[in-house]
Amino acid sequence: MTREKETTLYLGPQHPGITGNMMVKLKVAGDEIVKAETHVGYLHRAFEKLMEARTWMQSFPIVCRICVPEPDPNEENFARAVEEIEGREVPERAQYIRVLVLELARLASFGLWFGGQSGSAGLYTMPQWTVGDRDYILDLFEELTGGRVYHMYIWPGGVRKDLPEGFTDRVLKTLDYLESRLPAIDNLMFDNAVFQKRAQGVGYIDPKMAREWGVVGPPLRACGFKNDVRIDEPYEIYDKLNFEVPTETGGDVWARALVRRREYDQSISIIRQVIEKMPGGEYYNKVPNPLTWTIPRGDAYVKTESVRGEFGYYVVSDGSTKPRRVHVRGPAYVHAVSLLERILVGANIADVSFIMNSLGTCPPEIER
Amino acid sequence: MNPNINDKDSRKIVDIIQSYAQKHSLWVLAYGTGCGAIEIPPTMTSRYDAERFGITGRPTPRMADVLLITGYLATKTLKRVIRSYEQMQSPKYVIGFGSCTINGGMYWDSYNTIKSLDHYLPVDVYINGCMPRPEAVISGFVKLQEMISNGTANGWEKYRDNLDLYRSQQKEVIKNWQMPDYNW
Amino acid sequence: MNDIKQELLAEQTFADQIQKTFKTAGVRVIRKRRIEVVMRADLIPPYLTHAKNQHNFEHLSHISCVDWLEEGHFELVYILWSYTMEMQLIVKCRIPRHTPQFTSIQNIWEHAGTYEREIHEMYGITFAGNDNLGDFLLEDWEGPPPMRRDFDTVKYSEENFKDRMDARQDAQNVRETITKRSGEDMPDFAKPYSLR
Repeated sequence: MTREKETTLYLGPQHPGITGNMMVKLKVAGDEIVKAETHVGYLHRAFEKLMEARTWMQSFPIVCRICVPEPDPNEENFARAVEEIEGREVPERAQYIRVLVLELARLASFGLWFGGQSGSAGLYTMPQWTVGDRDYILDLFEELTGGRVYHMYIWPGGVRKDLPEGFTDRVLKTLDYLESRLPAIDNLMFDNAVFQKRAQGVGYIDPKMAREWGVVGPPLRACGFKNDVRIDEPYEIYDKLNFEVPTETGGDVWARALVRRREYDQSISIIRQVIEKMPGGEYYNKVPNPLTWTIPRGDAYVKTESVRGEFGYYVVSDGSTKPRRVHVRGPAYVHAVSLLERILVGANIADVSFIMNSLGTCPPEIER
Repeated sequence: MNPNINDKDSRKIVDIIQSYAQKHSLWVLAYGTGCGAIEIPPTMTSRYDAERFGITGRPTPRMADVLLITGYLATKTLKRVIRSYEQMQSPKYVIGFGSCTINGGMYWDSYNTIKSLDHYLPVDVYINGCMPRPEAVISGFVKLQEMISNGTANGWEKYRDNLDLYRSQQKEVIKNWQMPDYNW
Repeated sequence: MNDIKQELLAEQTFADQIQKTFKTAGVRVIRKRRIEVVMRADLIPPYLTHAKNQHNFEHLSHISCVDWLEEGHFELVYILWSYTMEMQLIVKCRIPRHTPQFTSIQNIWEHAGTYEREIHEMYGITFAGNDNLGDFLLEDWEGPPPMRRDFDTVKYSEENFKDRMDARQDAQNVRETITKRSGEDMPDFAKPYSLR
């Protein structure tokens, strides 16, 4: 067979299949990808530079905007980094509330992912369901924090406000509803022969490569490794909770989808446990006047498990009222640049957005 | 704008029918330029269901009527946005979505984002907020529909007439201007 | 006191082990699961190889860079995680600000190249051995590397974005527009902030 002529194809930034605002430059022979090159930077807002000119508290509205689908791990990370450098204690109730918020954010983010993943396979009913259901979680957030998408709720010393009265009952009610929707989602997505055929064997990551290439989160667990920041280095009260870390061995899009589906169940169970064990008491260890609040010289690397994997913050303080350096390690940084460039080779053009979705590509956290 | 109809009264009737058709099929270019893109899926899907207003997404600029600028524009994106806008067919409308399209919002001192979208593209409707809720998005679209039916949504005419001005302002920010010139 | 020592026993043992092999390094146990190693810059690539192969630090979490303008240094920070020992190793080194050059570690971790591209663009540090140090986030950038401390982002945006308005002027415009449209008077609380 003669080799077809190679063509260059620019996929994005304006392309409905691209996750967010980025571009993949493909070299294709027929339908097969020979070489892929990720181009990012379309969303670069220079957050890390702006934070150098803001006080520690003023930085909080900025950090939550770093990852749009799931802003809470950013707040959690930054708050925890500041607490670690300063040595500030967090009340136990605040830790429980933080876990509650983080897990609710996971559920909301999964809702968006279900829609994106199946939408990129042509199942347009799924986004209608799951993105619509995600809104009920956003309603809870709105009640709790005042914002649908950006919450600015977790901050150093605890959380901004206590839970409103009857909030946990409404959370449980929403969870019951979300759970009742799962059979329909399974039926449409995971029992669907079209989705299975599209997903199986596509976007394969070799287990050895997964370890060495800095793969984290569901893509790593889909290669058979039981690694989760919540287990490896428990933060807040995760060591007091009882939950599983689901793994698969396939390493392909299908395995990653299964891992995410089972994590959805785990998140629901975690929220139920948190509500059951929620202690009373203080929710906020008050910080001094935020305008003159200085953090002692030092640095910290903290990490949180977001839906896409290890979300890390490296924060450096020089003893002043403003951060010296805040550097964000987003999981998509590795997934969408070096890893995507590698695993797209040999795939079909039609699978590009499918693979991008399964890796959890999120351009704003790559570029910041 | 059929050139054969020159009679003043029939021209008016044509305009009414045309604007009626236009305002009930606002096709939006599927280009999530900024973080506001996260509120577009809820707006389009089952809960808020913007499609009942005739608002739906389109994959290519040549099919779209509305360019929705969802938030800040990095200078790198601005170049792509201008190119997308110029590929769109008239009549076309621009909606600035979020505070950062109005005055830069929280990115007022960033070295990489533009501050006021109106300086580079003719904006018909602004939706303020960070982020605007789906209801606000829909109300912005309804405002645009009103403007279409009373003939005030003429940003594209403004752009065509003042192309040199816009172009010079765009070129101040985009250093390396390598783009095809579309004919008007 | 004894409990604390017991808790950090594994960390302390490992820190002593590093100290024995690399005598010039400054090793410090920060807290549980965090060890900091400060090294001479030329020892970094061999040490990282050693850590990866001998101590199973196979996951490179992050490469960061801090600009210590007053002290005339760039600080490079390599953050590693070992899945078997469950420890985070933070390896730091300083390079002089006037000769921003370093060695690439792309041959040890493939994805390190991406981090190096970003640091090259944001701080202007060149990494010998990484041949992909082109544009990454910025496009047609003519100013100095933007993340350096001496780059003033406010001044740059004032000079380069003509559409930028003074915040007070801008608020004034908004207020006037609202007043004109609704026919209402300016509320009392807003009057002190008015320009007039």
